[in-house]
Amino acid sequence: MLSIILQDIAIMSAISGFLALLLIIAQYFFMNYGDCKISINDKRDVTVKGGSSLLSSLAEQKIFISSACGGRGTCGTCKCKVLDGGGPVLPTETPFLSPAELSENTRLACQVKVKNDVRINIPESIFNIHRYTAQVTEIIDYTYDTKGITFKLIEPAEITFKAGQFVQLESPKYGKVRQSTSRAYSVSSKPDSINELQLIIRRVPEGIVTTWAHDYLKVGDTVYLTGPFGDFYIRDTEADMIFVSGGSGLAPIKSMLEHLETTGTNRHMVNFFGARTRKDLYLVDHMDHFKSVFKMYEYVPVLSAPDPNDNWTGKTGYTMAYFKDKLRDPKNTEAYLCGSPGMINSVLNSLIDLGVPKEKIYFDSFS
Amino acid sequence: MEPGNLTLSGFLGTDDRHYHEIIQDDENILEKLGHTPEEIAERMQKLMDLAGDVYEEPITVDGHYQIEIQLVRGRMICPFAHPGAYRKGIIYLTNLKNNLSVKWTPLSVHFIQSHHFFEGEGSVFRLDPETLVKAIFE
Repeated sequence: MLSIILQDIAIMSAISGFLALLLIIAQYFFMNYGDCKISINDKRDVTVKGGSSLLSSLAEQKIFISSACGGRGTCGTCKCKVLDGGGPVLPTETPFLSPAELSENTRLACQVKVKNDVRINIPESIFNIHRYTAQVTEIIDYTYDTKGITFKLIEPAEITFKAGQFVQLESPKYGKVRQSTSRAYSVSSKPDSINELQLIIRRVPEGIVTTWAHDYLKVGDTVYLTGPFGDFYIRDTEADMIFVSGGSGLAPIKSMLEHLETTGTNRHMVNFFGARTRKDLYLVDHMDHFKSVFKMYEYVPVLSAPDPNDNWTGKTGYTMAYFKDKLRDPKNTEAYLCGSPGMINSVLNSLIDLGVPKEKIYFDSFS
Repeated sequence: MEPGNLTLSGFLGTDDRHYHEIIQDDENILEKLGHTPEEIAERMQKLMDLAGDVYEEPITVDGHYQIEIQLVRGRMICPFAHPGAYRKGIIYLTNLKNNLSVKWTPLSVHFIQSHHFFEGEGSVFRLDPETLVKAIFE
């Protein structure tokens, strides 16, 4: 009886082993896509090992497409045109793609798997994007939930970016977080400081990267940043400018103003910052000092719900209520907005109602 | 579902039940209360729509609910591998008549609508079905 049982176990083990072997052989032949060629802008070809996403395949070649979520298919940022070889559009992509984008073969690079030769079209500016090793040199508590963190670039040691652009900061595995995660943050330092970057990071409840930045990151730590990304930057015109921000949205505005301080400008500028209470305001003196730098500059902090103990004598309510008084010539005004999606939406509608041309209203595309 | 994957704390909290069990237990509670997950999700969505894409400030809807929507950049995907992506943010609701407060995310509405999932006990965005029903229907 025992010998029959042992014989059966041996037969079952042999069958299982054979099936496992068959699976490995099948994987080798059917899942191995071999080397695939990615043709970029019909100008440059790179060869990658097939089987990975287009986003990570390009990243391995040091070509970095913007991705605020680090390739999870949640942000819809890593759009690029896949002209050939991308396969069908996946259900995970369609929520992020407009009919026009679909008709132009726009895809999410993180969702396209490279299984064969692919032909893509990406902006030339992407070749300026690098992954930087950096070291934390300073952490400033701007408010109870907002920190300014400065990074010294180690390798590469220099960065070229436009004031208003953003980078992706990678958090490592920590605590319960078992994988590296990337999130996008606007650069708050001026582009003229080519060896360092400052980011302003506001804590987001349940946010993986913001929690790490607030609770774990310390001076001296080595981090990784990728960038620069984005088309939110100052247009080189003589038009009046209105800046509107809230929370950590002040970051790119700070970068823009510091850059203009270096280059010099005679443009008319109004800088609105919306916050709830006085404890949500920060860099007030810094924003105010630009009055002595520019000929026509005004800083207007507005508190929507000042605490009685704030003794606030400044403007109250929403920033939008004061636009009309401050705009000299709406048709000849450029607006630069950065903040939450709700703020952007409200401010955008208000400015359009006042006559600011929609095409002159700029905000972070990664929102 | 697990901590540190899509969110810092995951969706199961300190609950050691399998999520199938959590869903089943919450469905049983709702049956006793006479509500379906679908109608709860529809009500949550309607309240969110009434509050609109507001400027990060609490607003009162119908003189009955105080709602504040705080949206941040980015989107969340469903851990059940459901296609689609949901805005990141928190909706705070206070029923001004019974003083009950609840909070949820746009993903919570999808969880309830499509998966009857109110998250595990101890999860940051766990919605106790009984409290939720009292907060949004009474």
